[in-house]
Amino acid sequence: MDKAFQGEHLLPGHIGQIFVILSFGAALLSTISYYFATTNTDPLDKSWLRMARLGFYTNTISILGVGVCLFYIIYNHYFEYHYAWSYTSRSLPVYYIVSGFWNGQEGGFLLWTFWQAVLGNILIWKAKSWEKPVMTVVSLSQTVLATMILGIELFGQRIGSSPFLLLRNSGIEAPIFSQPNYLSFIKDGQGMNPLLQNYWMVIHPPTLFLGLASVVVPFAYAIAGLWQKRYKEWVNQAIPYALFGSMILGTGVIMGSLWAYESLNFGGFWAWDPVENASIFPWLTLVAGLHVMIVFKNSGHAYVTATILVLVSFIMVLYSSFLARSGVLGDTSVHSFVDNGMFWHLLEYVAIFLAVSIYFLVSRWKELPIAKKDEETYSREFWMFVGAIFLGLSCFHLILVTSIPVWNRAFGTKVAPPTDLVGHYNIIQASFAMVITILTGFTQFLKYKKTDITRFFITTLLYLAFAAIITAIIVYATGLYKLQFVFALVMLGSIYSLLANGKVLADALKGKFKLAGSAVAHIGFALMLVGALIAAGTRGVVSKNEKGTINIAGFNNNGGAGDSRENIMIYKNEPVKMGDYMVTYLGDSLAGPHHYFKVNYKRYNADGKTTDEFLLKPDVLTNPQAGSEPSPSPDTKHFLFHDLYTHITALPVAKENPAGGETGAAHGEENDDKNYDAPVAYEVSKGDTIHFREGYIVLKSLNKEAQVQNIPLSATDIAIGAKLVVVSHDKTYEAEPVYMIRNKSAFDFARKVEDAGLKLRLTKIIPDKNKVEITVYQQPEDKKPWIVMRALDFPYINFLWAGTVIMIVGFLLSIFRRNKELKTV
Amino acid sequence: MKRSSILGLIVIAVAISVIIAVMSKSSSYSTFNEAKKTESQLNVVGILDKQKELYYDAAKDANYFSFFVKDNKGDECKVVFIGTKPQDFERSEKIVLTGQMVGNEFHASKILMKCPSKYTQDKIETTEVKAKSANI
Repeated sequence: MDKAFQGEHLLPGHIGQIFVILSFGAALLSTISYYFATTNTDPLDKSWLRMARLGFYTNTISILGVGVCLFYIIYNHYFEYHYAWSYTSRSLPVYYIVSGFWNGQEGGFLLWTFWQAVLGNILIWKAKSWEKPVMTVVSLSQTVLATMILGIELFGQRIGSSPFLLLRNSGIEAPIFSQPNYLSFIKDGQGMNPLLQNYWMVIHPPTLFLGLASVVVPFAYAIAGLWQKRYKEWVNQAIPYALFGSMILGTGVIMGSLWAYESLNFGGFWAWDPVENASIFPWLTLVAGLHVMIVFKNSGHAYVTATILVLVSFIMVLYSSFLARSGVLGDTSVHSFVDNGMFWHLLEYVAIFLAVSIYFLVSRWKELPIAKKDEETYSREFWMFVGAIFLGLSCFHLILVTSIPVWNRAFGTKVAPPTDLVGHYNIIQASFAMVITILTGFTQFLKYKKTDITRFFITTLLYLAFAAIITAIIVYATGLYKLQFVFALVMLGSIYSLLANGKVLADALKGKFKLAGSAVAHIGFALMLVGALIAAGTRGVVSKNEKGTINIAGFNNNGGAGDSRENIMIYKNEPVKMGDYMVTYLGDSLAGPHHYFKVNYKRYNADGKTTDEFLLKPDVLTNPQAGSEPSPSPDTKHFLFHDLYTHITALPVAKENPAGGETGAAHGEENDDKNYDAPVAYEVSKGDTIHFREGYIVLKSLNKEAQVQNIPLSATDIAIGAKLVVVSHDKTYEAEPVYMIRNKSAFDFARKVEDAGLKLRLTKIIPDKNKVEITVYQQPEDKKPWIVMRALDFPYINFLWAGTVIMIVGFLLSIFRRNKELKTV
Repeated sequence: MKRSSILGLIVIAVAISVIIAVMSKSSSYSTFNEAKKTESQLNVVGILDKQKELYYDAAKDANYFSFFVKDNKGDECKVVFIGTKPQDFERSEKIVLTGQMVGNEFHASKILMKCPSKYTQDKIETTEVKAKSANI
């Protein structure tokens, strides 16, 4: 039955698998024990709690064990394991082995469960009286996550997918697996997609998963609050965790967008891809929940909304994981995972926690502290609440559109997303953004509970008028007015929010430091919107192609969303004017999987002097996977107020020698001539000039003692070299074709000037006229190396990144503040 | 009337208008035959005809790419895309085109390809592996 296979390293896999099963068992034990510890009425009986903690510690250690085993396998290139074979290869640099670790779905789950374990241990340490109920929920989530990587067969069904799956068991059918020495045929792994070989991929997934994992904590507190009927208390406890979750999740999402901008070729930082959208569902609801929690804390209103938003945030984490991993987005997303048989399993994860949430809400509904009195209209709480509701609505819209494939699957319909999807998202989300930014602005002028109305209206309108003036200037200067009016309104809202929160910050620095956190976070958020709006809205195509266009009515006016006429073809060493720049493709070079194309940019002022010159090296990455084409990766020149982004969109069909090694030697002469136009012979004497299509050639002198590589000259040989200077596109090259007489036969040795697309021969010596004959071979246009590229200009994109950093700082300040409040109470 | 009820009504109104906006904008997956009957943009799902020419000549026009697609009903149509040839185009298993008919050509503004995934392994790619291993 079981065959012995040679050279396999089964031990690390076995140990890893034991840890996987142990992590599941321990998490289950921990969940059950925490449950009984919570429901146990005898305060002196600590046995359940002790067992629960033991279970959780075991779970944490098992997860570390799984990680160590998996790392050991990847690090040692044990390709008998499917995971190592699929995502890594021997040539992978060590620092990317780390990203190989979370390249697959299993690694993603591992990262998630790891962070959840870390957070669980912090809760055991910090949560005190909340530990038992809160940890029941966290352990339950930990148990379900553990099943995702279980990979064991139960009743004929495989549950989860283990990272320790062997290649020969992975479902890949191949005759070699019947041979005991199959491993000796598997020399190397599939390797990692070079697009993922990027430092962002080392830090982006851990950050994102920490963010996703941390949403479980406020959720667990909300459930614990309902369960233990400590309705009001949980909110204070959960606020710092919700702040932390919002901060990390937001950072993770923006890191992903920065990665896309820096190294993917979809020409921007946000493409409204379903997988991207799914990652911000939980962020929107958590931020909304956070605000309503603060409302409840201060006014006692909106308890139900706060609870529901916090519960929904975690459901959204699970739902977005379902969307990204179940394969349901197949027709609409470019980067969703393919279903590996876990569709129902992932859906069950969502269903379990949805059921728990609904059960507690319904069973406790009558007891919930619902405020009978209405809130004051002119109170900060009321408008914070309104803002949170609009955040929720914005999320609702995203879910509605992103989930279209889910609706199709559930109801058997065949609805497709809107054809101009980006435009649709932009406009509707901008409408929400406008309302939200205006609210983050004027809410700052309101007081908690009650405000002096006249004064409020005067300040609000004053600031609004001021914001309108600034907005008008910005909208006019950046050209934003050419777009839909709603984008100008978002700009107004953002500027208004900046001013209003700027005032709060200024006051905060004078003494009311408590409010600094929220003011800074709002400023950051508004700045992000300003940056995103200008960069995406007024993104300019630098590589406009005017020549040879085929105009198709009604086709090019899709608002710059499509790929229309944004590509330009440039020949090597032929400068092309592109917008304000003179662009020259200089050549290419190979380094590992990278194939760089050097593109020189020059900008002139009115006098024709070069004001700016730089080199961009857009990159094309060789994909290690069989049959796949290389993937382009952009290069961007960062200026303080704009970015110039360039990427390759098409290349000539690969030659045998793409790096263009200049041999210079004359071999395959006849074949070689086919690469050139018909030769033209010129009779010239010293100092004469020959003109060709792209420049001119000057015969400097004749060299009577010319040397020919590899051919030693004897006394009877005559070798004459023509020293030529070639000038083409402001560049000077030298070449020395040689004419030789040996044993009364004449030979000549051609010389090539690849960069000018020339081959030059000294074909005749005419002593009577004191002239020589130079034959010029010129490459036809289409044989010359070329690239097709697309260059985009992103104005003010740095505001987006700066805003993100400022927002993170704001969150941090708030965490410190709320944490301090927690201790003093 | 309580203010919270007013807010509730506003929320419901906004939610309904969002649903209507999405519904009215949403399109459907259809075929070339249906595309010929309408002037509006729609989505066509199909497969690339690998027998016929994929035309892209950067020297002539760097923004013109044409190819032939067979839709789910088996009808074939020439497709024109204003842009460069997408990477890995020949490898695509399934293509979702967004665009409209212009004469006898389908002018696509967006192409979404389902290639054997670049990000993770799947069944299609494993078949390639099979062919490779069998050669050894």
